[in-house]
Amino acid sequence: MINLLRFRQGDPRRLLFYGLIALGVAVLIGGFYNVQILQRDIYLDKSEQNSVKKETQVPARGLIYDRNGQLIADNRPSFSLYLVPAQTTPQTIAALSDLLELDESQIKKNFRRARRFQAVKVARYVEPEVLTILQENKLNLPGLEWRVEPKRNYLFHRSFAHVLGTLGEIGEEELIENPEYEPGDLVGKKGVEQALDKDLRGVKGYQFVKVNAMGRKIEPIPGKSAPPNPGKDLYLAIDARLQLFADSLFQDRRGTLIAIDVRSGEIITLLSKPDYDLDLFTEAVNPQVWSELMADSLKPLFDRSTQGLYPPGSTYKMIAAIAALNEGIVTPQWSVYCPGYFRIGQRVVRCWSGGGHGEMSMISAIRNSCNVYFYQLGLKIGIEHWTKYSTLFQFGKKTGVELLTEKAGLVPSKSYYDRVFGPGGWTKGLLANVAIGQGELLVTPLQMAQFAMILANRGVFYKPHLCHKLVDKISGAETPLTYPAQKLEDVKPEVFEIVLEGMRQVVAGGTGWRAAVWGISGGGKTGTAQNPHGTSHAWYIGFAPFENPEIAVAVLFENGGSGGGVSAPIAGEYLRKYFHYQGKFDYTQYRQHVQRQEQKQREQARLDSLRAAGAIAPGDSAAFPGED
Amino acid sequence: MLNQRLKTLDPILIFSMIGLLAIGLVALYSSSQSLVQSGSATNYFWSQIRWILIGFGALFLIAFFPNRLLYELSYILYGIALFLLVLVLIWGTEGYGAIRWLRFGGFGFQPSEFAKIATLLAVARYLSEEHRDINRLKTFLGASAFLVAPFLLIAKQPDLGTALVFIVMSLPVLFWAGLRWENLVLILAPGLTLFASFNHVTFSLVMVLILVYLFYVKPPMLQRVAYFILNVAIGLLTPFLWNQLKDYQKQRITTFWNPEADPLGSGYQIIQSKVAIGSGGFLGKGFMEGSQTQLRFLPEQHTDFIFAVIGEEFGFLGILLGLILFTVFLVRIVQMANTYRSRFSGIFAIGAGSIIGFHMFINAGMTIGLFPVTGLPLPFVSYGGSALLTNMSIVGILLNFYRHRFEY
Repeated sequence: MINLLRFRQGDPRRLLFYGLIALGVAVLIGGFYNVQILQRDIYLDKSEQNSVKKETQVPARGLIYDRNGQLIADNRPSFSLYLVPAQTTPQTIAALSDLLELDESQIKKNFRRARRFQAVKVARYVEPEVLTILQENKLNLPGLEWRVEPKRNYLFHRSFAHVLGTLGEIGEEELIENPEYEPGDLVGKKGVEQALDKDLRGVKGYQFVKVNAMGRKIEPIPGKSAPPNPGKDLYLAIDARLQLFADSLFQDRRGTLIAIDVRSGEIITLLSKPDYDLDLFTEAVNPQVWSELMADSLKPLFDRSTQGLYPPGSTYKMIAAIAALNEGIVTPQWSVYCPGYFRIGQRVVRCWSGGGHGEMSMISAIRNSCNVYFYQLGLKIGIEHWTKYSTLFQFGKKTGVELLTEKAGLVPSKSYYDRVFGPGGWTKGLLANVAIGQGELLVTPLQMAQFAMILANRGVFYKPHLCHKLVDKISGAETPLTYPAQKLEDVKPEVFEIVLEGMRQVVAGGTGWRAAVWGISGGGKTGTAQNPHGTSHAWYIGFAPFENPEIAVAVLFENGGSGGGVSAPIAGEYLRKYFHYQGKFDYTQYRQHVQRQEQKQREQARLDSLRAAGAIAPGDSAAFPGED
Repeated sequence: MLNQRLKTLDPILIFSMIGLLAIGLVALYSSSQSLVQSGSATNYFWSQIRWILIGFGALFLIAFFPNRLLYELSYILYGIALFLLVLVLIWGTEGYGAIRWLRFGGFGFQPSEFAKIATLLAVARYLSEEHRDINRLKTFLGASAFLVAPFLLIAKQPDLGTALVFIVMSLPVLFWAGLRWENLVLILAPGLTLFASFNHVTFSLVMVLILVYLFYVKPPMLQRVAYFILNVAIGLLTPFLWNQLKDYQKQRITTFWNPEADPLGSGYQIIQSKVAIGSGGFLGKGFMEGSQTQLRFLPEQHTDFIFAVIGEEFGFLGILLGLILFTVFLVRIVQMANTYRSRFSGIFAIGAGSIIGFHMFINAGMTIGLFPVTGLPLPFVSYGGSALLTNMSIVGILLNFYRHRFEY
């Protein structure tokens, strides 16, 4: 420093300039001190937010197996296409939208919302052949990128549609309900994919990367990333062999078949037909396909097993029987003479057997599904008891199965009738009607299968469920999905025995004889439910074996006709297959038995024709089981 | 011989300048790295070194100029400067949305930079002529005319920041030339009127204050009345003219003063600059380690916001070093102005110090949001050939004067 003092003399006005310099510098020092020292942490945070971006890595969704370990749904690597706005030329967009039939204006709209170097997803699940074409032309398509992302792959296209359900991008309402999800996530939309989404989806991985001001990736930041955690594998209670077998029985018919393991509540088969090809939903659903599915009069998207509400018809007669016996309203010996019709006030209702069943007691009324008996019984029990036992046997409420679209059905009560028809505005005729499972009563087929389980177990039941266990892919830890046994304590064991004897006889020569397994006894009940949509719905519920039951089934054919003629044979075929897989049923011996039966029938027919010709004396007849 | 000559130069001024140049080079080196790696842009570092060498050539050339020559040439240089400013409006090329450049072959040139020196020389000469008395209206108006001409031409480009420099340097120059305090107040008063004019109460208050003041200082009656009428006219016209402006024009003016209101435009720049500086803390993130700089979140980091590069990578300490160097530099200029026997030299020195000080204060303040983004570079630190050449030429002139400081 030469000497600041040498210039001491001179113009005093210089002091003003020194003052101005000092003031200016002081203001600046104060300003920088404030920003750099006092507010440093705020700005340090902001600078990190600027340059550090979180990248999400999608975990592989849990695989789905059947109860025997048969793979049903897995994931395949698929390619998603992205465009980086900063590098994309209009030619790229035009070529892509041409090749993939994308909406050009939609891409441009998405571009406007994105940062210049942030890749925008334009297509999911691109076919490998298409990707090959794109890769070959990479140089002519600036801005195009592709990433591998897992895609759901189904080993069976149909049959499992209503059990598995679909995946789709999360909706806004779902986001509000589940704040842990993020926009753009793929979530289960129906079926077990929806109900067990949180287990199946896994935990997303994160990688933190340094980006520059234009959003271009510079480098990953070590130590801060977490790899994705794959979702848990799900083992269904469903037996894929039986599910496929049931499907083969249905062919083109509309309806549903449900089978429950009565010892656990596990659903072995849950089939609703028609169904749809799950592959249609693995990609963004083509709007045309969607509208076709929606407009389809057969309603393939509609799960008949839990969403369908039907009158149960005669399969519901056991409720009236149990109510009457358990409440002591009638004894098992109480009998009614069935002339083939019954008069309620001005109305005459007919029994399904035009000629009448004759003298009917409880067991024979169940065996023959006599409407006249149950009309009279219905009038005797009264609405309160009927409603009580309907509710006791879990009707009118959801079973809680892993199908969230499940309906609860409707069990009318006194207050329901008072509400609908006005107090006193309804007659006893309604009661006679609901006692035979008609009228306002509505049930789901799953509720009927559950009903069969409760009866088979003499009052013990489990929540029907589709899932068997979850397996953690990394630790191998298994989570069994079991539910505690529940018991209907109020119903006396002897009441069950009487009703079950009726059901045993239904299969053993009664209306449900076609559902017999042969060699294994069972119980069941047919139903032919009248409905306003045309031909009656054909019902069958049943279980087997009669002692130590294993399985309960419910079969429904929409507008299928007679329960005993249409549904019972399907139930029989299904049950035989089930016991065949259990090693308790031999098809060869069964076929020999059937052949013997047929031979007998032919012999009978021959005798009949001879008798008609007067060659044989009358009275020498073979009894044929009746039909409902 | 050469050594003897160099000893006649002032080391404090030169070394503080060299310190600032060095800071600038360090920041430019760091800032250029990310650009060099991406392989796209020019390397500002080497380009600046070239300009510095040219600048030193000009500095020494001017420093050893015959002393009286600058005085003799000042009006001619001023004439040339005005001519070039007119020329640039006709033939200039565009940059940053304004026409500022004249191009001769591959060589670009900003006449407004040259005009700073020429105007300063001309005003200094005008005010140092023997019969001038700055406290007389005639001389005041004459000196003002020298400043207003380039101001209007540059504002037309439009380069409001640089144009303002001519207004800002006028007050210190006039003051150093002997303007009396009471006249200084009279010069400043219309500015106060302008800001007070949007509110009836403040406007009336300022008018009363001016009246009182006029009776207190007692200028000639005619001037007193004319001055008062001028103030009233300003007060009445300003709100009227403001309302004549279109909404987007008004908005442009308000964002000029409040950039945070426009977070994507100039607000974005200031926010990123504050983030860079603030995140630097006391010691900084280290040379070439600043994320705001290296990842280019910091805009205009080689020119307007170069001080933010220093703030991010070298922290508060780096900023302090820069401010200390500036302080030494500016104080030294005032000291020099005080030493020169020649009135011409003194006035020039004060004007030069004002220009450089104003640039520094506005630019540094801008990086932390104290001032709007005006596009004024940081002297000796920011990248830019024209500004560097101008500032180093000014230092050359000051050194020239210093060698002859005892001459009248």
